[in-house]
Amino acid sequence: MSQPLNSNLLLAIALLPLGAAAIAGLFCRVIPRWLAHWVTILGVAASCGFSCFVAYQVFFEQAPVFNGTVYQWLVTDGVGMQVGFLVDQLTALMMVVVTFVSLCVHVYTIGYMADDDGYNRFFSYISLFTFSMLMLVMSNNFMQLFFGWEAVGVVSYLLIGFWYKRPSAIFANLKAFLVNRVGDFGFVLGIAGIVYYTAQFGGASLNYVDAFAAAPQIAAQTFGLQGTDGVNAMTFICICLFIGAMGKSAQVPLHVWLPDSMEGPTPISALIHAATMVTAGIFMVARMSPLFEFSPYALNFVLFIGATTALFMGFLGIINNDIKRVVAYSTLSQLGYMTVALGASAYNIAIFHLMTHAFFKALLFLAAGSVIIGMHHEQDMRKMGGLAKVMPITAITCWIGSLALIGTPFFAGFYSKDLIIDAVKEQHHLHPDNGIVTYAYWCVMIGVFVTAFYSFRLLFMTFHGKPRWKEAAAAPHEHAAHDVHDQTHPLPHGEHDTVGHEEEHDHHGGPPHEPGWVVKGPLVALAIPSVLIGAITAQWLLFGGGFGTSIFFNAENHEVMQELAHEFGNWLSFTAAAFAHPVVYLVAAGVFAAWALYCKWTHLPDLIAARLKPLVYVLENKYFFDAINEKALAPLARGFGKVFWKVGDQGIIDGIAVDGSAKTIGLFAGIVRRVQSGFLYSYAFWMVIGLAVMLGWFLTRTLN
Amino acid sequence: MGFGLLSLLTWLPVAGGVVVLLLGDRGIKAGRWVALATAVVAFGASIPLWTGFNPDTFDYQFVERVPWIPALHSTYFFGVDGISMPLILLTTLITIPVIVAAWTVIEQRPAQYFAAFLIMEGLMVGVFSAADALLFYFFWEAMLIPMFLIIGVWGGPRRVYATLKFFLYTFLGSVFMLVALIYMYMQTTSAGQGDYSIAAFQALPLGAVEQKWIFFAFLLAFAVKVPMVPVHTWLPDAHVEAPTGGSVVLAAIMLKMGGYGFLRFSLPITPDASREFDWLIILLSLIAVVYIGFVALVQTDMKKLIAYSSIAHMGFVTLGAFLTYDIVAATGKLQGATMGLSGAMVQMISHGLISGALFLCVGVMYDRVHSREISAYGGVVNTMPKFAAFMVLFALANSGLPGTSGFVGEFLVILASFNANFWYAFLAGTTLILGAAYTLWLVKRVIFGAVANHHVAELTDLNAREFIILALLAVGVLLLGVWPAPLTHVMESTLQHLVQQISASKLPL
Amino acid sequence: MNTATAFTWASLQPALPEIYLTAAICVLLLADVFFGQRRRGLAPTLTLLILVGGAFVTGEYANVSERILLFGDSYVTDPLAVLLKLFGFLTIALALLYSRGYLERRGMMRGEYYVLALTALLGIFVMVSANSLLTVYIGVELMSLSLYAMVAFDRESGIAAESAMKYFVLGAIASGMLLYGMSLIYGLTGTLRFDELAAIPPGVPSLGVILGLVFIVVAIAFKFGAVPFHMWVPDVYTGAPTGVTLFLSTVPKIASFAFAFRLLAQGMGSIATTWQDMLTPLAVLSMVFGNIIAIAQSSLKRMLAYSAIGNVGFILLGFVAGGEKGYEAALYYTIAYVIMTLGSFGVLTLASRAGFEAEDLDQFKGLHKRDPLLALVMMILMFSTAGVPPFIGFWAKFNIFQALWLTDHYWLIVIAAAMSVVGVFYYLRVVKLMYFDPPGDLPEGSASGVAVRAVLALNAAAVLVLGLVPNALIQLCAGVIG
Repeated sequence: MSQPLNSNLLLAIALLPLGAAAIAGLFCRVIPRWLAHWVTILGVAASCGFSCFVAYQVFFEQAPVFNGTVYQWLVTDGVGMQVGFLVDQLTALMMVVVTFVSLCVHVYTIGYMADDDGYNRFFSYISLFTFSMLMLVMSNNFMQLFFGWEAVGVVSYLLIGFWYKRPSAIFANLKAFLVNRVGDFGFVLGIAGIVYYTAQFGGASLNYVDAFAAAPQIAAQTFGLQGTDGVNAMTFICICLFIGAMGKSAQVPLHVWLPDSMEGPTPISALIHAATMVTAGIFMVARMSPLFEFSPYALNFVLFIGATTALFMGFLGIINNDIKRVVAYSTLSQLGYMTVALGASAYNIAIFHLMTHAFFKALLFLAAGSVIIGMHHEQDMRKMGGLAKVMPITAITCWIGSLALIGTPFFAGFYSKDLIIDAVKEQHHLHPDNGIVTYAYWCVMIGVFVTAFYSFRLLFMTFHGKPRWKEAAAAPHEHAAHDVHDQTHPLPHGEHDTVGHEEEHDHHGGPPHEPGWVVKGPLVALAIPSVLIGAITAQWLLFGGGFGTSIFFNAENHEVMQELAHEFGNWLSFTAAAFAHPVVYLVAAGVFAAWALYCKWTHLPDLIAARLKPLVYVLENKYFFDAINEKALAPLARGFGKVFWKVGDQGIIDGIAVDGSAKTIGLFAGIVRRVQSGFLYSYAFWMVIGLAVMLGWFLTRTLN
Repeated sequence: MGFGLLSLLTWLPVAGGVVVLLLGDRGIKAGRWVALATAVVAFGASIPLWTGFNPDTFDYQFVERVPWIPALHSTYFFGVDGISMPLILLTTLITIPVIVAAWTVIEQRPAQYFAAFLIMEGLMVGVFSAADALLFYFFWEAMLIPMFLIIGVWGGPRRVYATLKFFLYTFLGSVFMLVALIYMYMQTTSAGQGDYSIAAFQALPLGAVEQKWIFFAFLLAFAVKVPMVPVHTWLPDAHVEAPTGGSVVLAAIMLKMGGYGFLRFSLPITPDASREFDWLIILLSLIAVVYIGFVALVQTDMKKLIAYSSIAHMGFVTLGAFLTYDIVAATGKLQGATMGLSGAMVQMISHGLISGALFLCVGVMYDRVHSREISAYGGVVNTMPKFAAFMVLFALANSGLPGTSGFVGEFLVILASFNANFWYAFLAGTTLILGAAYTLWLVKRVIFGAVANHHVAELTDLNAREFIILALLAVGVLLLGVWPAPLTHVMESTLQHLVQQISASKLPL
Repeated sequence: MNTATAFTWASLQPALPEIYLTAAICVLLLADVFFGQRRRGLAPTLTLLILVGGAFVTGEYANVSERILLFGDSYVTDPLAVLLKLFGFLTIALALLYSRGYLERRGMMRGEYYVLALTALLGIFVMVSANSLLTVYIGVELMSLSLYAMVAFDRESGIAAESAMKYFVLGAIASGMLLYGMSLIYGLTGTLRFDELAAIPPGVPSLGVILGLVFIVVAIAFKFGAVPFHMWVPDVYTGAPTGVTLFLSTVPKIASFAFAFRLLAQGMGSIATTWQDMLTPLAVLSMVFGNIIAIAQSSLKRMLAYSAIGNVGFILLGFVAGGEKGYEAALYYTIAYVIMTLGSFGVLTLASRAGFEAEDLDQFKGLHKRDPLLALVMMILMFSTAGVPPFIGFWAKFNIFQALWLTDHYWLIVIAAAMSVVGVFYYLRVVKLMYFDPPGDLPEGSASGVAVRAVLALNAAAVLVLGLVPNALIQLCAGVIG
């Protein structure tokens, strides 16, 4: 048996990036660039190394689960709220993913942001982001989880708005924060529910362990929700929590912020969001598996949302021409897959896909970034093509990434994605009459085709076919996107999906070229795991008890896992078996379709688009989510405000009640003062009247 | 027991103020330093309140009691418990930035300005330390005079309307409280030898009807101060017209007196009336959170926006304070009641720091551009990066970001209100969205973006003086957010005692 | 109680103040006749000395500790009387001191004026010490006649003459009613002495008594200036020269209190409920109209006149509440009010200079710039009159509230509270003018001596100090009423 984890080490993992961020941030105006990036890189590198060490201890030395308090945050009403760490296999894995991706970003940034004024500031942001993310995944209680949850939200707010001069950027970041806040709103209610119910079973507490311990009793409760005939307490809590996850992990309908988050210094912030932050929701649900497992309804809800996201966000990837937004939409779609896995209570598979996805999606983002640099910050794929010749490394790595993404056998993505589909299938067999499962099954199946299609569409449009950039190079860039915004709207409005330019960068022409090694290095570094990681880790991580006790299955779903395990055998047999399934052929079909449309008969797409105008219209408007937010909800909120303010406050309260009464008194005074006529006789008259009245009153009163 | 620390904290600033007044505008160079010295010494002298405070008891500490008006059985009776002590520290702390912020900014009659603030500080400390109801009222009212002058003399264009509104609103509220206090004194006399001490009032066995009348008399006084909807409309005007320092003190401390009054008078003295009418308070609090949240969204004046956000945030204070009864009604247990109260308290302290800081930020911009209109700004970050960093921090704190003090109070109140009724928590929770919406939209329009006009282009970043005071508050905000335990610790036993008081009916069974 | 049987000089000692004052008046008259023309400053100085001496005499030789009756029991002196007389000396001294410069500038600083002032004081003393209807009547007339003359003292001013005329005629009517009421009471009870009137059987009195009572109450209301018998107040206050108004608005209030207390509280104490019912509407009307109409005034003098009416309403509430507490409250209120009014009208007199009458509110714009001291004093007095702590005015209202609570006059409390809020508005308006508004082209400073200003400052300081430590005065009032 091995020694337990060292709490100071864990503390260091979390705090090193924070310290680095503080140094780079507080003194960003005084310290030189090299210092800024070295401090932060060393910080993150160290915590990455430590994380790997911790992961090693956890996975290979079977170190006991670490669950410790760092310090008492506050105590009130007998409820203690601590800041503390819970480190088990799940956490360890996430720590590695987070710190590794973050480290790549740090290195990559040196090259990408080389000529940006906000160099130091940017490094402090991404380090701060790493810290927040670590606090989130390492937390052992809901309070700290929420802290990390919101902290990453804030850093993304800062990152998206990094180029604060750009109206589109500062719209996007406000939008992102508010949409996330909608999720957090649900999340807080979920936490409140936890505290409320734990209070009834063994003392109010925010700690995971207590909540998990109380889970069975909570599941037996009915939550008397006014207005309804009550819902199952656990269902209620889980759905509230999942609403939070929908915000962070960009699930429909709270996905709207993710495409806009590309406003940040792409592809770095994009990577931060797409490969790291968005996984927070997935991780949270997996972490809460002991709760979700007790609520089939909540799981169905998760499944439904996930399936919808997986398919319909994929469609959007098909019609988009902005290279980084295509990748972004594919991210949305893949997040949908993870969520589906969660909904099918295959949490470990979700995390597995999360991990593999982190690698090849990071790869794709960096490749896209490399293309963008090579194209002198041109992002419109229609102006690319044939780049494979001028930037081979990028092209190759991008191919690898795409193959992994679409789930080509032996590539990382293959294992994770196929297993998700199998899990859904198992659920389908288990509950054949559950419509949602059926729906989800079809969504993920079609999704496979769609993924393959848009991925290869990207490849073909960018790297193959005739080099359209030769004539496009001269054409001027249009800045339309950034001028349409009305400064006074809380949410961005107007067409957003145009190409985002980065004014800060010079637009010097010249033919595309392969960027330097700070950019290519990470590409290669990420390409390798994108191929191998799946095959290597799948078996022991998923079925070899890799996650140990960190993920909980109730009896029924446990059978599903047994079933899957039996079906999986080992990675080879699984791969072989896969050819008996339609999935692989769907992939092939997708690839072929892409080739047909974008290499062979390149005139076809426009024809099809012409035929399916309404459909294209819907897709181009992204199912009108933004339209609803910006044209309906935001004006509505402002309308409420105006009415309340003008009518309620100024009209009724001030106008009538306050000033009104004052005016009335003044008016009255103005009238009664006239009695003071200044004539002696009238004064005498009044005295006599007064006397008479008093006499009359008191005499009559005494008489009767 | 003779005079002691609390008397010092009350009268030292007053004395300092008189000295500054005597030095006059000619001697303002010295006067400034006297003012600053007084404020700093007062703060330093208030530290022992914290260090020497015994958190294990709910009894009054640092007690002073000497005869004042034997004819009325009213004594000069000072003392602090877990509720008042933090508020006193807040008061002495906030006065320092107020003095520093005005250092050279106020050209017109500076001596009177500094004097007014010092005197007001003393009176406010008096309000929080008074353990005798009459003494409390004495300070409570007297405090209006300096604020009336501050808004009226150094205020903006509509200052006269604003300050008269402020004075009359609050005076109207207070007069009826006075009447109620006298009535309760009568009851103590009938019970034996009369006594004006608050403790005696709390111990009074009051009937249901009496309690109702007293409750509403108090409600009028405290609701106006907090302020609660619908008697809140004096606040936006007062804030907008008041000079920076005035807004800071108003938002940071004076509003807290309403909340303090609820905790010190309404709840313990009229528990049964509170039980009967808690729905009213809770309703108004939730309206404050939602309704005012929307109103804040559409403000075009920075100070007005922050003023409205203050009202919304104070809604959490009143909500947390009056949760107890519904919690008992819903769960049959007191679990969560103390949490609601400490949430309310933390919210008060935190809001004191944050709103104060935000008003200072607006002041910083106003001193340069002389406009409070949001539309007059845009892209301030380009010319004032340091300032922008602070502004963003405080804005995030204002929208309740975990890790800042703004989160703690709201979090606790939401958790507690869930025990009472899900919809309370739901509506209170909307502040996560609304608060973020109006605060960050403000930031977006003022701080971010390209340089909007030549005023912004000519802005100069924070000078050392401004930097120090903002940094001071920033540290406070973060410290309280990262480690609120010390604060909740000193309040805990007092609040638990309070819960016992307010949950125990005074009516004969 | 020892009623003097055989007449001895020593037995006159309690009446020393009046005797002294009478003698002093003669001395002043003679002195003025012989030296007045040559030494213009003689009369005021001499008067001041007389007042100081009078205060000394009263405090030293006539300071009784219990009730003593004299002159066939138609004269009483007790601690209350002593207090009021001493306070009378002080008040009139201050009033004359403040107005000295004013009178001098308007050529009114002549001996007769001071003689009249002293005779008015004598009349007040008589009222204070009256123990019979006749004594009271003598006092009333003595005071009133002197006041009429003082109002009309500025021969050049037509408006002064007019207001004096009004004052006189209406005052005559009031005196008539008073006399009529007294005769009725006398006819029905067969006695003029208050201590014997107190023997009227409690409960609802006979029709005749009520009839008489109404007339008496009306007369008292007139002297106080309570609505609807207040009509003379605004006109006389405004019409009379400010210096006289200062006198008019302060000293007689003491008399009015004594009048009401001796006659109603002590004389008719047994049928208190009856006259309290009569006073109640008067009090309410006075508070309401006084405070509300004051808002609409543009002349500060007139505004203060209405504020006087409003405050009278509060004093009357003390009597309505009745009982020791009630009378104490009324007494305390009277004293507080007189002190405050001395100050505020003092500011008016000091602020006005040759050819410049500081009467309209607008003339106080930016006073803080032109004359910081006056502005500060005025602000303190305004806040105090508004009833805001930490000033004496707060305790005055406070005591009234308390007295009303004791006697369960709930609605009166509510009205009083509401009206004190309304009142705040116009007091604050003065502060606003002085502090928030620019001075414009109004004249700088005021032509008043340092000594006077110092006294005025002390006056304001007293308002503050008595507010901070109110116990002494409250207990004093309690002591003398008990």
